[in-house]
Amino acid sequence: MIYEQIFHMVNVGIVILDVDLKVVKWNKWMEIHSNISCDIIAGKSIFDFYPNLDTKWFNRSCKSVFSFGNTAFLTHKLYKTIFPFKPVSSFVTIFDNMCQDCIVGPLRNEDKTIEYLYLMVSDVTKMASYEKKLLDMGSKDGLTNIYNRKYFETKLEEEIERSNRYKNKFSLIIFDIDFFKKVNDKYGHLAGDYILKTFAKIVSKLLRSSDIFARYGGEEFCCILPETPNELAVIIAERIRKEIEKTLFEYKKDTKIRITVSQGVSTINKNITTKTDIINLADKALYKAKSRGRNQVVTAQTYL
Amino acid sequence: MNTDKNEIFTQDQKDVLQEIMNIAFGNATAELSEIIDIYVVLSVPDIKTINSENLDLYVNNLIDLKKNTKIIEQKFFGEYNGAGLLIFPDINNDEIVTLLDYSDTDSIDYLEQVPVNEILIEIGNILIGACIGKITDLLDTYVTYSPPDIFSSDTSNKFCFSCNTDKDKTGLVMKTTFTFNGKNIEGLLLLLASNDSFDWLKKALDKFMESYL
Amino acid sequence: MIKHILVVDDSPIARRMLIKSLNALGSYEITEARDGQEGIEKFKTASPDVTFLDLTMPVLDGYEALIKIKEINTKAIVIVVTADIQPKSIGTVMGNGAFSVIKKPAPLETVKNILEKAENKLKDMQG
Repeated sequence: MIYEQIFHMVNVGIVILDVDLKVVKWNKWMEIHSNISCDIIAGKSIFDFYPNLDTKWFNRSCKSVFSFGNTAFLTHKLYKTIFPFKPVSSFVTIFDNMCQDCIVGPLRNEDKTIEYLYLMVSDVTKMASYEKKLLDMGSKDGLTNIYNRKYFETKLEEEIERSNRYKNKFSLIIFDIDFFKKVNDKYGHLAGDYILKTFAKIVSKLLRSSDIFARYGGEEFCCILPETPNELAVIIAERIRKEIEKTLFEYKKDTKIRITVSQGVSTINKNITTKTDIINLADKALYKAKSRGRNQVVTAQTYL
Repeated sequence: MNTDKNEIFTQDQKDVLQEIMNIAFGNATAELSEIIDIYVVLSVPDIKTINSENLDLYVNNLIDLKKNTKIIEQKFFGEYNGAGLLIFPDINNDEIVTLLDYSDTDSIDYLEQVPVNEILIEIGNILIGACIGKITDLLDTYVTYSPPDIFSSDTSNKFCFSCNTDKDKTGLVMKTTFTFNGKNIEGLLLLLASNDSFDWLKKALDKFMESYL
Repeated sequence: MIKHILVVDDSPIARRMLIKSLNALGSYEITEARDGQEGIEKFKTASPDVTFLDLTMPVLDGYEALIKIKEINTKAIVIVVTADIQPKSIGTVMGNGAFSVIKKPAPLETVKNILEKAENKLKDMQG
């Protein structure tokens, strides 16, 4: 009687399934969040109501619990949706669904054989939102909201490693906004910040989702273009150069600023083994672009 | 089998334990291949008793700190209690993500990368659970598990079993290497039984012997 | 009639477990071997009616030993005793001429049944 009350009062979802994964028990928490009462779901396969659960990971987790009596821990980090419920809090709005952790474990009868398994579902939406914030803080640049230098360097190392193993090409672009110091001196640092933010936004739009665009420091930006040969990287860089050249940066109604950008492009080749090698190469190209009069794209390939 | 100081287990008990491990690992391999679709090859386990301070040294020596080593730890509780450790030296992320099939799973997007750690945790959980589950079946008991945890050798964490137990106590280490057929991944599986479960373990081994011998 | 049985297993406990069952089921002459290599040698000298063979053993494993034993005598009745009973392993040893595969630890009843089958097979071959 008391246990039954606790079963319904705890702030976690508890589901009991039999060997055919049919629902035996479904506690109040599950009823509230799913809008499905225990009477309706009891005796039916969990997959009838939650077909998204009928996946290899869920089935192998249940099988291992029945075979080994172990406990499977299904975390929201790996599985986006366990039970697609609405988030409870009105303040955490970055997720469409409640983030959940789910524990699957064995229930034994008197002679120790496993007859049922239990699912224990907890709401970890708030934790997941903190986690996302922390991850963003560690990998994103506070001003422009694109990736930071640390994240960029980690990714660059990974890309070089992958390229050494699978011999796939990737390219790197380093950007430097021309005469940025003059913008700061003439219009103030807030205007400078506005330029950096807007520049990041415009360039992001011209890149693909697989490209890794980061603020390297000050007015320097860089971008990893995976699976991209040199010629294509130059085309992309040229597109960006033109777009920036024609954009009128409207900091205030009466303050309209024009800027240009110089870019150095380098592409992985067999002589490049470290991230410093490929950055140096792009840097040299960038220096050429600057010394040849700025607002242009130079690729390391042309003078190799 | 090596021992520190005093003999804790009789020769018969050690032989039985060795055979139980052989059987348990064999059974686990067979059932694992059905559940995760991969043939796990487990070597013949090496069993030794070791005091908990030396155990820390022993484990830390196995963990290659120079390389990208990942360690999954899972504790288990019951009459038989201790910890399972899975050590993956020099992880290759691209290979790890092919181990378990998540193709039909609506996997996470906010991390924007394949969560290698989470995959290793699932592998660890299944492998440790399979081996411990089969051992406990044979010894007629069962255990409950803590959620598995993952550690990297590049962080400053050192393995410290003795931090949670008395320093003079002895642990039982069962070490085996494992490989996955067709994959270039190998690692070490250590099952540590703590001193608290020795009395029970000796009784359970004797009982097993009586029922079969 | 089964008179002589060879038990090949590296684990002394596994051998004792099996021999205890065999002794409970009848009076057989039993020869033991501790690895695949010794198993082959004992098979040659003792010419047993039935051989119980473990798979994971040092020096020479059961898979190899089975092949060698069948080379010596194609009619040898070899019962594989293993904890690893996945279809792939079973398929391999059955393909190499094993009489049957039983799972470790084998209860008395299983050993009894398999001995009866072996007995019938032996009668067929002799008769």
